[in-house]
Amino acid sequence: MAPERGFQGETLLDVRDLKVHFPTPDGVVKAVDGLSFTVHRGETFGIVGESGSGKSVTNLTALGLVNRKAAQIEGEVLFKGRDLLKLTPGELRHVRGKELAMIFQDPFASLHPMYRVGDQLIEAVKVHSNVSKKQAEERVLELLGAVGIPRPRERFRDYPHQFSGGMRQRAMIAMALTHNPDILIADEPTTALDVTVQAQILELIDHVKREFDIGVILITHDLGVIADVSQTVMVMYAGRAMELAPKDELFRKPLHPYTWGLLDSMPRIAQKGTRLLPIEGAPPSLINVPPGCAFHPRCPHRFQPCDRERPAFADRGGGHPEACHLTIEDKRRLWAERDARRLGVAV
Amino acid sequence: MLALSLLLAVTAAGCGGDDGGGGDEQAATDTGEDAGGEPQRGGTFRIQTDAFEWTGNFDPTGEYLGTALGFYSSLLVRNLMGYRHVGGPEGNELIPDLAEAEPEISEDGLTYTFKIKPGVKFAPPVDRDVTSKDVLYAFKRIGTPSLVAQYGFYYSVIEGMAEFTEKGGLSAKGTNEISGIETPDDQTITFKLTEPTGDFLFRLSMPAAGPIPEEVAKCFMKAGEYGRFLIATGPYMLEGSDNLDATSCKSMKPLPGFNPNQRLIMVRNPNYDEATDTKEARENFVDRWEMTLNTNAQDIFDRVKSGSVELAHASEPPEVIREYTQNEDLKKNYHSDPGDRTWYITMNLTQPPFDDIHVRKAANLIMDKEGLRRAWGGSVKGDIAQHIVPDTMFNDELEDYAPYATEGDAGDVDKAMEEMKQSKYDTDQDGMCDAPQCKGVLHVTRTTDVWKAMVPVIEESFRKIGIQVTTREFEDSYTVIQTVKRQAPVSSTPGWGKDYADASTFMVLFDSRSILAEGNVNYSLVGLTGEQAKEVGAAGTTSGIPSIDADIDECNKLQDDERLSCWQDLDQKLMEEIVPWVPYLDANADFVTSDAVTHYVYDQFAGEPGWAHIAMDPSAG
Amino acid sequence: MGRYVIRRLLWAALIVFVVTLLTFVIFYVMPPGDPAIRFAGKQPTEATIREVREQLGLDKSLPKQYYTFVERLVTGDAAECPQGVEGCGWPGLWISYDSRTAVRQEIIERGPRTISLALGGAILWLVLGVSIGIISALKRRSLADRLAMGFALFGISAPVFWLGLLALFIFGSEGLGIDAFSTGYVEFSSDPVGWFSHLVLPWSVLALLYAAFYARMTRGNLIDTLGEDYIRTARAKGLPERKVIMKHGLRASLTPVVTMFGMDIALLIGGAVITETVFNLQGLGNFAVNSAASADLPAVVGVTLVLAVAVAVMSLVVDVVYAYLDPRVRYS
Repeated sequence: MAPERGFQGETLLDVRDLKVHFPTPDGVVKAVDGLSFTVHRGETFGIVGESGSGKSVTNLTALGLVNRKAAQIEGEVLFKGRDLLKLTPGELRHVRGKELAMIFQDPFASLHPMYRVGDQLIEAVKVHSNVSKKQAEERVLELLGAVGIPRPRERFRDYPHQFSGGMRQRAMIAMALTHNPDILIADEPTTALDVTVQAQILELIDHVKREFDIGVILITHDLGVIADVSQTVMVMYAGRAMELAPKDELFRKPLHPYTWGLLDSMPRIAQKGTRLLPIEGAPPSLINVPPGCAFHPRCPHRFQPCDRERPAFADRGGGHPEACHLTIEDKRRLWAERDARRLGVAV
Repeated sequence: MLALSLLLAVTAAGCGGDDGGGGDEQAATDTGEDAGGEPQRGGTFRIQTDAFEWTGNFDPTGEYLGTALGFYSSLLVRNLMGYRHVGGPEGNELIPDLAEAEPEISEDGLTYTFKIKPGVKFAPPVDRDVTSKDVLYAFKRIGTPSLVAQYGFYYSVIEGMAEFTEKGGLSAKGTNEISGIETPDDQTITFKLTEPTGDFLFRLSMPAAGPIPEEVAKCFMKAGEYGRFLIATGPYMLEGSDNLDATSCKSMKPLPGFNPNQRLIMVRNPNYDEATDTKEARENFVDRWEMTLNTNAQDIFDRVKSGSVELAHASEPPEVIREYTQNEDLKKNYHSDPGDRTWYITMNLTQPPFDDIHVRKAANLIMDKEGLRRAWGGSVKGDIAQHIVPDTMFNDELEDYAPYATEGDAGDVDKAMEEMKQSKYDTDQDGMCDAPQCKGVLHVTRTTDVWKAMVPVIEESFRKIGIQVTTREFEDSYTVIQTVKRQAPVSSTPGWGKDYADASTFMVLFDSRSILAEGNVNYSLVGLTGEQAKEVGAAGTTSGIPSIDADIDECNKLQDDERLSCWQDLDQKLMEEIVPWVPYLDANADFVTSDAVTHYVYDQFAGEPGWAHIAMDPSAG
Repeated sequence: MGRYVIRRLLWAALIVFVVTLLTFVIFYVMPPGDPAIRFAGKQPTEATIREVREQLGLDKSLPKQYYTFVERLVTGDAAECPQGVEGCGWPGLWISYDSRTAVRQEIIERGPRTISLALGGAILWLVLGVSIGIISALKRRSLADRLAMGFALFGISAPVFWLGLLALFIFGSEGLGIDAFSTGYVEFSSDPVGWFSHLVLPWSVLALLYAAFYARMTRGNLIDTLGEDYIRTARAKGLPERKVIMKHGLRASLTPVVTMFGMDIALLIGGAVITETVFNLQGLGNFAVNSAASADLPAVVGVTLVLAVAVAVMSLVVDVVYAYLDPRVRYS
């Protein structure tokens, strides 16, 4: 069940109890294990988690870019009412790049090094619309302008290696916007970029969201990125949702110990001297997900049922859904202590 | 690599290919009758070879291999004396060809006078009668250094030849003549010799001594050029001869009938008059001869079998021999005849332990010759050799002479040890070579399959009398044994074929006057003197080496039967008193023909098919 | 680009000269038998050997011989061409010791044979190898992949000689007896159909051998490439899978194949010896081997020169094609 968060826009994507399991000779990789969320028009939906938490697989599955033969997929991915998991690869292809667009982490690797940037964009235009080369070119120039590439007519003929990283990501965004999609999925769009460029790209994403009136799914391991542009944030761990909340709520009143860990490990430019506290231990292997709460081996607050009973993903009175056995009182107390300690150290 | 050893082999061995050849000795002439009826005239006879080998690019002056000699003698060039081009001793006998009759020979054996047949003409574009001057011109070419005659030494007995050469031959400024050859008129030619030479007529039968027209040949004064312009006198000529523009040297373009790497194509010579020839020498059934290259030997034999080629001019792989000797339908197409070629193990008289005659005799007694022949492919490859000169060349008169015969030709330990006991290298006289010199004796051999297969037989045979040989295979094994200073003690590399049917062509291998520092063919160094040893770089035992130079000179003066028995005696003397070799195989020459070949004859002189008598089904091909 | 090509051509010329010089030195230092003795007859006299040596030019010093070689190469040898020898001219490669034909003429006659063999075979194996590679890469671990790789392994392991004889056995006079497939070379100008049909078997044999390498290489490269992010981008765009692979995947995975292809063709110019021998094509490979075996220096140097030029030209072509395929090379 996707909890309705009362966001105003139209519901674009409704993921319900999605499971993506990959059987391998070593065991079943449970990349996504029972995930539900909704994304609305005008919303930037942040998904945050460490690498290997299943955040990218979720979206690749939605786009049909997961090899269906190699994976066992269950649940529903309703996109504007249609279940994407039930579409044929051919039907999905017409959704992909047209209504659902995606940009990736590494803009250096995401553009084909041997084709001109302009040509790669033209190709994207022509895939889904029957226009002349000339019209496609006009559209591409328009898009390049829209994503802030200076002198698009000149840069149009360049090869990717002649573009800077930020420019490439802009080009990728332009490509994604080609057909006025409903949702833009941005998978770690700034990780490979310089800090200053990161901000520009995030700004651009925010800008195009408003300009094109679309929904954005922003996938990142960096809460800082989320903090700037998201309206809603989902924290993922080991293929499961840990906490889902409006951004401000998540930062002010986080309810899950994993979220606390993430917040502790988040650098804050404003607070120099803040000690970063990385979460101890490593994320679990998705083949051997710990029983009960997947996070319990790393959780400093674990107690009796954590290693046996998987906590439901539900609102336990904290105002938004999360998956932790602690009572809401304990959560509030522990977070208050933790926040104070953190700030105290900072003073 | 193979080609190199092949070429070296033929260079050293004279006529014919390097393969031992061989097969059941069928009477070659029988096969013609199998097909039934009279041989028919006509047809294009296609021959394929897996390697064209020439020494002078088909210039008769410089050509020395059996293949070329066979074509010249049978089809293209009419020498004063020629052959019947048939198998057996009869094929080794001389008959007048360009000469009207046998020559007049002076009492002292020094002057030979020939009358030339009228009506023998050069092929187009020369189109004129052959005269004595044309024969003389051939000798002038032989005496011209720049033309590099391959067997000029045969003609050094002609008076004035050396002087003619000294002055530069045809390249000399001013007039230069050979004083010993006179041509008083167009039909008469006289040779004056400096010493009696019993085999001079044989020497005149060699193609270099055939008539050559000066008007064409004068344009080609370097080795290997004239072959592509050869003007025939025989029943056939090179294709395109009739279109040759011989008005000037510049206007002559190579004849399409010969390309040293690709083809030899011969067509009927319109100027050939049958009346000037005899049926016993040439019958000329075939209209056209095409010899081409096919680098895939297996494919050649396949083509012969399927009938797209009439004759394979290549070494038969063992499977082919097996198939043709065992399959009744194919037997008639397999022809194997004595090749007048001896294969042998040579022992160096200067190198211990072979500087001791008892060791050399013991080697002859112990050698498993049958084992060696098995390595070659068995009895089809020829007879076991018991002495030096092939039996056909002695009219089979020494057929039973076998001084070192052993049971089954497998070697005899007792007899060999008995001999070894007398050697200084057997210090305790127990029949085993036991001196230090008996260990690690270098045995030089080839890298090719047959020779590799012989190695264990040779090593094992020697081991039985205490000689431990260390075998080394060389790709250029001929060069190794032809270079005196490398002092190779023993080698199974060589074979030797006759040039013509006189034993002198074998005896040159034991003539001390032919010893050279490099390119030496007297591998055993028979007759080497101490002084000569220094000159050519021979080391080891260089004194007291027996010589047969005087015997050779003696026999060379004789003629006919006396000569024959003189050579026979010398062969026996070599085998018993000198013992330079372990001869093991009298190799056969074998050829495979297609069903279209209705009449096959072997040419004993060249060791090649008797082209002049071969006939085919004209409708084939 | 133009300047680049010119610079590369000059380099190539220099390398070709060095290669010929090395060939000379190797032959001079390690002669495989004295050619003069070989051509001087059965019982050569010193005078005869001297004469042959002089005619072959072996009496001169090595630098002098090399100088003469270069001089003839640069100015041509038509002026000193002996009577009766056809095909002298520019570039002068002089006369073969063995056959006394102009080496230039031999190369002109044999070149088309070898080039026909190499190019035809190359096109066939490229198409075959790349197709098999693509199929295997796309259907990884499927039956088709296993069959294709099994075929590749067979092609790699089977000796050319054996394959050639097998092909002849099946189609030749002993087997199906298809005359059009028989051994030998037919001039294209005189009979294009015959030219083609006689080359079908050699091409196939050559292609079978090389296709295997190309299939494996294409498969490996394509599998690597298909894991690249830009392939994911292409798919995310909604491109049909066929276009993703043929346009985006193949282009990147074929660039290394181009390098190998160019060098393989170049080496075949001098090296398709066994195929030439089995199918009696009498091309440059046979000429090279025979010449080396008979210590025929002018012929060996001539073929070496052709081979060096072929390698130089092909590597230039490869670089140009590479630059065309990969703009990163072009602009750096």
